[in-house]
Amino acid sequence: MFTTDILSQVVINGLSLSAIYILVALGFTLLFGIMKVVNFSHGAFAMLGGYALFISYGSYKLPYIIALFGSAFTVALISLIFEFLVFKWFYQKMFQSMIGLMGLNMAIVYASVMIWDISERSIPSPDQSILTFGELSIPMDRLWIMSVTLVVLGLFWYFVTYSRQGLAMRAASQDLEIAAAQGINPNRIYKLAFFIAIFMTALAGGLYAQTYALSPFMGERPLMVAFIVVILGGMGSIPGAALGGLILGLGESFLSTFYGGAVSSFVSFGSVVILLILRPWGLLGKPE
Amino acid sequence: MLSKSKLKIFFCLLTLAVTNTAFAQEELKIGGIGPLSGGGTAWGTALQRGMQMAIDEVNASGGLKVGGKTYTPKLVMFDDQYTAAGGRVAADRLVNSEKVNFIVGPIGSPSVLSVVPVTTQGNVVLLSNGFSPAILKNEAKSPYNFRTMNSTVEFGPAMIKWYRQNYPEAKKVALIAPNDAVGQSVVPQLEAYYIANGFEVWKELYDRGSKEFTPLITRMIAQKVDLFDLNSNAPGEAALLLKQARQSGYKGKIWQVGGPSVEEIIDIAGPLAEGFISLNVFDFDAPVAQKFIKTYRQKFGDGVINAQTPGWYNATQILFESIRRAGTIDTLKVRDTLQKMDGYDAGLFGPVSWGGMGDYGVDHQLLLRFWIVEVKGGKVVTKAALHPDKH
Amino acid sequence: MIKAIQNNTESSSQATEMSPRKFTSWQVLLGLTFLILLLIWPQFTTNKFYFTMGTMIALSVIGASSLNLIIRTGHISLAHAAFMGVAAYTCVLSQIYFHINFALACALGCSMSAFLALILGPILLRLTGKYFVLVTFMVGEIIRLVFINWQSLTGGSNGIQEIPRGLDLFKNPTSFYYFSLLISFLCIVFVRRILSSDLGRAIDSLREVESLAECSGIPVSKIKISMFVIACFLVGFQGILQVYLVGYIDPGSFNSEASLNMVVMNVIGGMYHLSGPILGSIFITTLPEFLRGYVDFQRVIFGVVLIVVMAALPGGLMGILFKLKVFLLKALHLEVKNK
Repeated sequence: MFTTDILSQVVINGLSLSAIYILVALGFTLLFGIMKVVNFSHGAFAMLGGYALFISYGSYKLPYIIALFGSAFTVALISLIFEFLVFKWFYQKMFQSMIGLMGLNMAIVYASVMIWDISERSIPSPDQSILTFGELSIPMDRLWIMSVTLVVLGLFWYFVTYSRQGLAMRAASQDLEIAAAQGINPNRIYKLAFFIAIFMTALAGGLYAQTYALSPFMGERPLMVAFIVVILGGMGSIPGAALGGLILGLGESFLSTFYGGAVSSFVSFGSVVILLILRPWGLLGKPE
Repeated sequence: MLSKSKLKIFFCLLTLAVTNTAFAQEELKIGGIGPLSGGGTAWGTALQRGMQMAIDEVNASGGLKVGGKTYTPKLVMFDDQYTAAGGRVAADRLVNSEKVNFIVGPIGSPSVLSVVPVTTQGNVVLLSNGFSPAILKNEAKSPYNFRTMNSTVEFGPAMIKWYRQNYPEAKKVALIAPNDAVGQSVVPQLEAYYIANGFEVWKELYDRGSKEFTPLITRMIAQKVDLFDLNSNAPGEAALLLKQARQSGYKGKIWQVGGPSVEEIIDIAGPLAEGFISLNVFDFDAPVAQKFIKTYRQKFGDGVINAQTPGWYNATQILFESIRRAGTIDTLKVRDTLQKMDGYDAGLFGPVSWGGMGDYGVDHQLLLRFWIVEVKGGKVVTKAALHPDKH
Repeated sequence: MIKAIQNNTESSSQATEMSPRKFTSWQVLLGLTFLILLLIWPQFTTNKFYFTMGTMIALSVIGASSLNLIIRTGHISLAHAAFMGVAAYTCVLSQIYFHINFALACALGCSMSAFLALILGPILLRLTGKYFVLVTFMVGEIIRLVFINWQSLTGGSNGIQEIPRGLDLFKNPTSFYYFSLLISFLCIVFVRRILSSDLGRAIDSLREVESLAECSGIPVSKIKISMFVIACFLVGFQGILQVYLVGYIDPGSFNSEASLNMVVMNVIGGMYHLSGPILGSIFITTLPEFLRGYVDFQRVIFGVVLIVVMAALPGGLMGILFKLKVFLLKALHLEVKNK
């Protein structure tokens, strides 16, 4: 069982899993890092991104890159309504945000059921080819996701670390009052952060829906994944999201291939529980 | 010639007479239980639509003529949310509040198992689905409940025997299934049938929710299987399993003793679906199906027709015919007549055949004809029509 | 810390105002009328469906009010339904394997879930806020996976079909209803005694500002753990009775959705007074029956209500009613007696 062939396939599978997981977790960790909001409706926005891609690429047949980034952009734009109506009430309020956003999640998911019905749909893949290196197989669309993740991760990290807005966001996340005293407009910064977070979430949702399946309930799993990745890596930390995603993806691939599905689930849930008990701020996060 | 005003009066009176007769017809409530929310909604909707089509057909022909009276059947459908408690509450409401005597559904075993005690106690005829053998095989010997769709016990042995005959060189089969109620019942059953036909079996269950199967598939490929059975997987998962298996380099044969998921597989896996063999519960290309499809399209539009819909239509029609033949809506008599319906053809599945004495201790399993199909060049081609063994 | 005190003053003043130590004569009268109604309505109907509904409501009140104990200490648990399941499976399995009578099996079941709470409590309750929610969610999932995977013991996802009889009075829906009502009533009384005693005041204070409470000499951890254990013990009754009502046990009734439902009952009804979860559970359990056919729309409304309650009305339905009462009394120039 433990041959080099299998091991290399396990690594490839793990990397492709990690790519999706990291992408899904980025928006979640941003919202927590800046606004201290635990976005329980994260999955719902991913799902909206999925439907947006379905409409733009599946139905209207726009060119893939335009469809992918355009639909994420559109969802983020439209979601500013939710920012105004809902999220605004919950910034910096941990407890209320949890339950309030659970409510938002329920509302969005079941509204989607009413609009689109519950059946599962699929989004056509832009490239169905499969690369083979001897015994190894990598589907082209997974490679594509890995590249998108790297690009988004890189751009995002660059933005947060080096741009003015990024600097403003980090200041706001550390101490809102002082940041405001420095001339940073909290409302504008929050809106920008929200927009970027939802953009990444919708993008991840579109790719997730394309890889697996699209339905109003598809967001449940991305939400759980985002939680686990961000707990592992540390809430509010971008390198943490990358690390958490890698650990979860490679771990799942390794454990499921060699020990089966049940063992993999128990170990991942168990380790999250243990990590939460011993080091709740994650591997790369900061204690509050 | 009659004057204009007299003609008008005549037609008014005629309409009144007709509508009064219509109102004079008594309503016969037929209960339906199925998931209308959550993950199982597609099946619940299939149940609802199949029943409604049968009811509309009966009403269009003037109502259900029972003995000397004519009844207008009406569907009262409740959501069981695909859970045991939901089924229980829905059954309670139908039997005790709505005073319904005939129920079609539910679909999932947990729901059926909690409905059966209620309907048995209320002497209510129940035509259900559900994979668990315990639905028919229980202490009470299922006096009032019947199962109207094939379960793995019915189609499994015949299909595997067919495969063994057509592909004698196959040695090892892989079963990957979800760890839910269906998966956990079906996998041991299939395992027994495969072993009886000379196969070696490797199995793996996954937790429903994740759709990423490549690690499990890599595990499967390492086992050097030559047949991959998608068994009880839901259509979405079955399609992804097939697609990811092919993408991971699995070269053996893939088929499904269960489903059917053929449409979804062709849709999601595209060219990778070539050569896929599956159970089909309904032949949508057969001449007898065309009328059904046309009526469905008129009522419900263009979406995918869930393959269970004709089965529920069939069940409801059989129920109506047995009420007609019994000449009464008394449930004891209807139940007795229902047991003797062998030979009646509702138009889609051929003559009724009850079986299951050997497996369940009672002949309340409807043995439905089923088909084996293969995907060739992107199209579904029928390879064989089989019938469950009556034992 | 000052901000924390300021943020919480509204909730605490509402809590103290709404949970007086003694009852007024109005409240006693209202309570008695309600109780009498609950007892006599079964005599006026033979519709078994109503009895099933009534029993279900009475049982869900147990879950919601026991969860309220945990929520009052400032922790939201998403594992409550999982503990319910532990008690239910223990009761059913001990009847099957050890052939003991129902009362003993029931006690064993509830004790098992309390025992599990006792072991996990000290570890989990060190976490607060979102971390506690997450860890209880994960624990709930792990327990659910155990139910599903340990097929030889629990029957896996298919559960156990024909469970032992339980008490003889279970056969009669009316007596089952009265029995559930009794158990539910006892639970509520028990929870109320805790919450309106000095212990209850200690609980309120440790929820508001934990560090200050600890400085005052309140044994914070001990209280949190004991509340957690008691709550998990009580919810066992709901799990067991529900299972014996349906006649069948499967893991599907003990998942995170069920836990979330109990949290929603508390939030919508109002977390700061015991009548909140009672009202909330009645509301959430009966609403689907009225809105059959509009299931999706119903859920959208729930979601919106949750948002509105969390954003603007932290006291939930009870909070709204309370404000209404104050408003009416002031409008009628009557004195507010409960200061």
